[in-house]
Amino acid sequence: MIVGSANIETLAEDAATIESFGTSEIVFEDVVCFQMTMEMRNQAREAVLPKGLHPTVPATLSMQAWEIGRSPFGEFKMVVCRIGCRSGVRARGYSTRVYTNTQIAATALKQEFGFSTQLAEIDFRHSFDGTDVKVIFESRVIFEAACLDPEPMSNSDVQYTGTLNLAHTPNGLRLVQLEAHHVASQVERLSSRLLSFDSEAWGNSLLDPYTVVSASLAYETVTFPPVRFVCKPDELAFTGTESV
Amino acid sequence: MVDITPMSFSLFSGIWGLYVDVKSLIKMALQPMPYPVDWCGGGDNPVKGPTLQLSDIMKTNRRTIRSYEKRIWFLKFGIFFELSTPRPLTRQNEWQVYHNGLEQCRLADELGFDHVWAVEHHFLEEYSHCSSPEVFLSAVAAQTRRIRIGHGAVVCVPEMNHPVRVAERAAALDIISNGRLEVGTARSSTWTELGGFQVNPDDTKKTWDEFCRVLPKMWTQEEFEWQGKGFSMPSRNVLPKPYQNPHPPMWVTVTTPGTELDAADRGLGCLGVSAAGYEEQERRTKEYHRRIQLCDPVGGVINDQVHTMNFLYCDEDYRKARDIGVPMVNAFNVANTHLYWTREAYPTRAYQTLGNAGAGMKAKKAAVDDPSLAKGLPEGVGVGDPEHLINTIKKWEEIGVTGINFLLNAMEMVPQEQVLASMKLFAKEVMPRFRSKEDLAAPVYTPTSLPAFVGAEK
Repeated sequence: MIVGSANIETLAEDAATIESFGTSEIVFEDVVCFQMTMEMRNQAREAVLPKGLHPTVPATLSMQAWEIGRSPFGEFKMVVCRIGCRSGVRARGYSTRVYTNTQIAATALKQEFGFSTQLAEIDFRHSFDGTDVKVIFESRVIFEAACLDPEPMSNSDVQYTGTLNLAHTPNGLRLVQLEAHHVASQVERLSSRLLSFDSEAWGNSLLDPYTVVSASLAYETVTFPPVRFVCKPDELAFTGTESV
Repeated sequence: MVDITPMSFSLFSGIWGLYVDVKSLIKMALQPMPYPVDWCGGGDNPVKGPTLQLSDIMKTNRRTIRSYEKRIWFLKFGIFFELSTPRPLTRQNEWQVYHNGLEQCRLADELGFDHVWAVEHHFLEEYSHCSSPEVFLSAVAAQTRRIRIGHGAVVCVPEMNHPVRVAERAAALDIISNGRLEVGTARSSTWTELGGFQVNPDDTKKTWDEFCRVLPKMWTQEEFEWQGKGFSMPSRNVLPKPYQNPHPPMWVTVTTPGTELDAADRGLGCLGVSAAGYEEQERRTKEYHRRIQLCDPVGGVINDQVHTMNFLYCDEDYRKARDIGVPMVNAFNVANTHLYWTREAYPTRAYQTLGNAGAGMKAKKAAVDDPSLAKGLPEGVGVGDPEHLINTIKKWEEIGVTGINFLLNAMEMVPQEQVLASMKLFAKEVMPRFRSKEDLAAPVYTPTSLPAFVGAEK
């Protein structure tokens, strides 16, 4: 059984803090969600995850760019970097860092969801013939993808896995499980190219996406129910899970 | 040309040890009998086997019915190999897993198990190191006498296996095993494998379908040519031909709900490789049996068996059986979930669930998405004392399953001597409750025991 081997304290250096868990759901409307999945080389697959998680075979990484039209935090964009993993037997993405374009959203993403968030310039353009995403942080392009040839897909053809954020919580340092419910009205599959990826800027210099598997774009509403479970980062989920 | 109804085909398939509808046989016997009859029936099915007189068929069927009065409903028991290998992935560990598996096959042959199945998987660390099942199964064939040998299954995408090579290898294995081969077909459900061979997931169902249709032709036609989507080739005689006539029984591995209907529509056996609960399996089995009555068979025989996958650990002490068996089941399931499922990787119509683990995960997600829950032991798992296993298997039998294939170990969690002891206890205490001693002693499909029309050309 393969499990993560990263130093928890190092991972926690820029962990967000959730003072108290919310009790009501949060809804994002008029959302455009871009998801790009990539394979990483296997050398570092264990080194980038905490001990409580299992890497996928092969190691994988997904980038999600969100354009949110309406939310309790206003209109904003965000881009999330997630490592494909398993928590127990559940398919998950362990987030390493999030960039957003508004201060209100940055604060909310940290406090409500436990995302490790920073402000950046996000250029997310989608049209009938393609999609481009670019994230600029401190004048550097830290992520850029170019996608063409959108193909219409059925609304159920795209799969999103839950996200795990390492955050300081009332229970201690925990992996916070976000269960986003996506209801799509339109889904496209895209041919895509990764033009730029700055691993340091995404939280871990060992991140090594080298080949794109797929990309999709969905127009949807996303609902986040209140957090129900958190997991100890250094213990497998079978024994390290706590109810909130 | 007589119109052979689908039901009459299930009589043929009865020869493979399955399901015969007696009422339909009587009804058929009372009908006028035009001659002659092609094995494969009429319609536009181009596969032509040896021409048989219907009277011969009826004679055979009557004999079959008689011989199946005791045998017909007995459940088939198989063993199923992923050849999962524990870390560290040393050469010694892989050697041990393979040789332990071969020893289990030899014992299964002696004990009266009916089938050995071996998967084809690639790149699936720990979970399955069985990438060349034809080699493993050849060794099994050489070391056993009676047990049937199953590809569970060949991956039917041309980037992994050219269909000609599949046909050739299967035919050779059928000859070497004296006609004991079963050929399962599959299309792979992980990106780990499809991505490794740079396969477009959109195409796998189409190429699988194409393989299912061409393999019987390659096995039965002296001149085969093909212009298709997955591959094309000029006219050639694909050699050798299989020992079984017209060809080995064909199956489809079923992971995703609905694939059992694809199997039924083509007249192929349903080889379950993911555990479903009793209710779900009953629904699927009923629908499969209903649907296969209407099938347009791709081959020369209809195989209407429904096998499910299960785990086996049997001990006189129920608690001990659970203490040993449950961690084995959980280890297998955890390794399974480490794989990168195609649906997770690639948006496509062609993959609607997250592989083997997906069905269970999806079902549970509606209630709770608690990561502390292992898949655990779903209902109907073959872990316990003999009495528990008898009751469990009876339920599977009641819902119409015709065979159960057991995984005996996972990542060598159970020491080999305990695996062998579990098999022996199962054969001694459980198996006889589902068949007579005579059935257990009967050789299975040796050349001399083949039904008259099988190998009739010789």
